[in-house]
Amino acid sequence: MTDPKQGSITEAQAIERAKQGDEAAFEVLYHLHKRRVYSLCLRMLSNPAQAEDLAQEAFLQLFRKISTFRGESAFSTWLHRMTVNVVLMHLRKKGLPVVSLEETLETQEESPKKELGAEDLKLTGSIDRLQLQRAIDRLPPGYKTVFVLHDVEGFEHNEIATMVGCSIGNSKSQLHKARLKLRDHLKFMRAEKAESA
Amino acid sequence: MTCAEVQRVLPELMENAPDGEFGAHLKQCPACSELVSDLKLISSEARRLAATDEPAPRVWVRIAHELKAEGLIREPGAVRPPPVPVSTGRRRWGAWWLVPVATALVVAGSYVVSHKAPSQVAQQPPAVQTPVTSTPDSLPQPQAPVAKNHATAPPDATLQAASRQSANNAQEAAEAQSPEDQQFLSEVSTRAPGMRVTYENQLRSVNAYIREAQAYLKQNPDDEDARQHLMEAYQEKTMLYRMALDHIQ
Repeated sequence: MTDPKQGSITEAQAIERAKQGDEAAFEVLYHLHKRRVYSLCLRMLSNPAQAEDLAQEAFLQLFRKISTFRGESAFSTWLHRMTVNVVLMHLRKKGLPVVSLEETLETQEESPKKELGAEDLKLTGSIDRLQLQRAIDRLPPGYKTVFVLHDVEGFEHNEIATMVGCSIGNSKSQLHKARLKLRDHLKFMRAEKAESA
Repeated sequence: MTCAEVQRVLPELMENAPDGEFGAHLKQCPACSELVSDLKLISSEARRLAATDEPAPRVWVRIAHELKAEGLIREPGAVRPPPVPVSTGRRRWGAWWLVPVATALVVAGSYVVSHKAPSQVAQQPPAVQTPVTSTPDSLPQPQAPVAKNHATAPPDATLQAASRQSANNAQEAAEAQSPEDQQFLSEVSTRAPGMRVTYENQLRSVNAYIREAQAYLKQNPDDEDARQHLMEAYQEKTMLYRMALDHIQ
């Protein structure tokens, strides 16, 4: 399967043609947004097979409703929100916490930082993207959700609070804890890499 | 400002430029300054992870297959079958029963979304009237189909039926079509036979969506998202009925 010539029609044209049942138009819309949808699912689930299933479901839900799209908001915004809802519904069905309700799961004293001798493992300067992905995968589900939605996908805290059903303060707190954990994970990874070298 | 105070207010202040006591502390505290710098770096690097992964080609294949099965993709050159010509009176009667059914779906869905758990509300059923479409005196008064399932009955019976249905065997409920759905498909078969399979597939899909949303709401009665999903499911079925109405008129 090759990518269709996306430059030949605009997204608006593809939407109108898709409403008429044009398969090529659906495919254009899919290829325009597949990466963002799939990446969001993958970041939140850390499971490629599940991410594929939910990305498929998000697109199908969107395409089933495409006849109702009137263009008042951006198509990508509509799809983006729908994808988030599909993933959150999936997490809830599986009984996984969408957002952690615990304000203090562990204190700074329990974090690994003190064991590292952090002076020699400054994080500033550069972060390996693959290491960051792995560190995100290791986050608890609640922290991961808020971090992905805010720092990766760019949602604001008031939007996240509405989507996941928590307060804005809780969203900020979860995000902060997620970033602290990621910092610790990344420093550990860097330490392990230095030791193995 | 102490380091402990900085740690406490950091979640609120991270997005802002450091100023005041916070900024002054960062200037003279290397540990806190490095912490803030690291957290900002993590945040900025994370943004680059958006839209970086490519799904396997099979994802599109499965989507296209499903769209074709649901009739949302039409073959090039396919012509919509013309509506079956019928007498104006019977046609008007036959089509307009869909309007109160579709409206009842939205009313029932709105009621479920705006109130608490169905089990709580069922004890105090509201008085909601299903609208009746007026027709000329010469035509038979359309009778709204006797509702046996939650989607078309008055809200009080709808909610009670929803509670009972959720408690029953979900698989048995999933397989049976309601009398309203059967009549709907019968009308489609009569007036637009070429679209029967399409509407049957779409009806099956939306009914599964409704059942899923109902079951989830029953397990999570205080979940606003669950109520919203159920409302969206009802709206989807309403849209389906209205699409059919547009098609067969």
